[in-house]
Amino acid sequence: MDNLLVLAFSAFILENIILSQFLGICPFIGVSTKRSSALGMGVAVTFVMLISSSVTWLLYKYVLEAFSITYMRTIVFILVIASLVQMVEIFLKKVSPTLYKALGIYLPLITTNCGVLGVAILNISKEYNFIQMIVYTTFIGLGFLFVIYIFSMLREKLDFSPVPKAFKGAPIALVIAAILAIIFSRFGGII
Amino acid sequence: MLDILLPAIVLSGLGFILGLLINFVSKVFHVEEDPSIDEIVDLLPRYNCGACGHPGCKEMAIALLSKENKPADCKPIKKEQIPVIQEYLDNYFKNKKEQANQ
Repeated sequence: MDNLLVLAFSAFILENIILSQFLGICPFIGVSTKRSSALGMGVAVTFVMLISSSVTWLLYKYVLEAFSITYMRTIVFILVIASLVQMVEIFLKKVSPTLYKALGIYLPLITTNCGVLGVAILNISKEYNFIQMIVYTTFIGLGFLFVIYIFSMLREKLDFSPVPKAFKGAPIALVIAAILAIIFSRFGGII
Repeated sequence: MLDILLPAIVLSGLGFILGLLINFVSKVFHVEEDPSIDEIVDLLPRYNCGACGHPGCKEMAIALLSKENKPADCKPIKKEQIPVIQEYLDNYFKNKKEQANQ
């Protein structure tokens, strides 16, 4: 239990997918201009990460390892994630049109989010068992949600600040992301 | 030989299963949509370039039907295609009006 808590904490803060591992930067910069869309993107990513990591973990253990073709994992995972996102989209469209509208634009974007593939591969290379994998993936997703939400609040404030013309938009966002990453890298001393 | 065949078989098998699953899911969770949306998408360039401000051509078609955008808002469209879409939209709105009057 203690180990799982440490794992959850380190996935959430220390190994934060955006600010320490630098995965999923595209939605981090692209979809963080408004708080509501950042929240939608964060929830969608967490959701997709959980589903795709579970499926890819099972596939790796019971198909790829059984045939001893583990070097195929990247291409298999890409295939699985892309199809899963497609299925989730069709499913949501029917079951919950409101959620589909809220996530609509972000779901297809997640197919190409390297964070999702990154977590799936990290779970394998760190040799987690199923429960550890679920905890790790959930907190990596929540870490993504947390950071993208903080960042969107900063960017909303930024709209009212006197930013030099050359820095307006993405450049100043990247500068702020760098400062955030420096702060997060200092959390490493906690454990 | 088996070293090459095995990954190929596993990957194509996986692709086949996933394809079947997507097909199955899309049949089971099929949502009725306005058929005009697809017809307009066929008239648009179908590049999904996003230059109109929408994520894809389908969203643009929905915006056209709700009069949010004009066909000329599509950046990569061919000049001769604009009147074709406009004509389709005019017909669509005329039919809708007649239906509402009945």
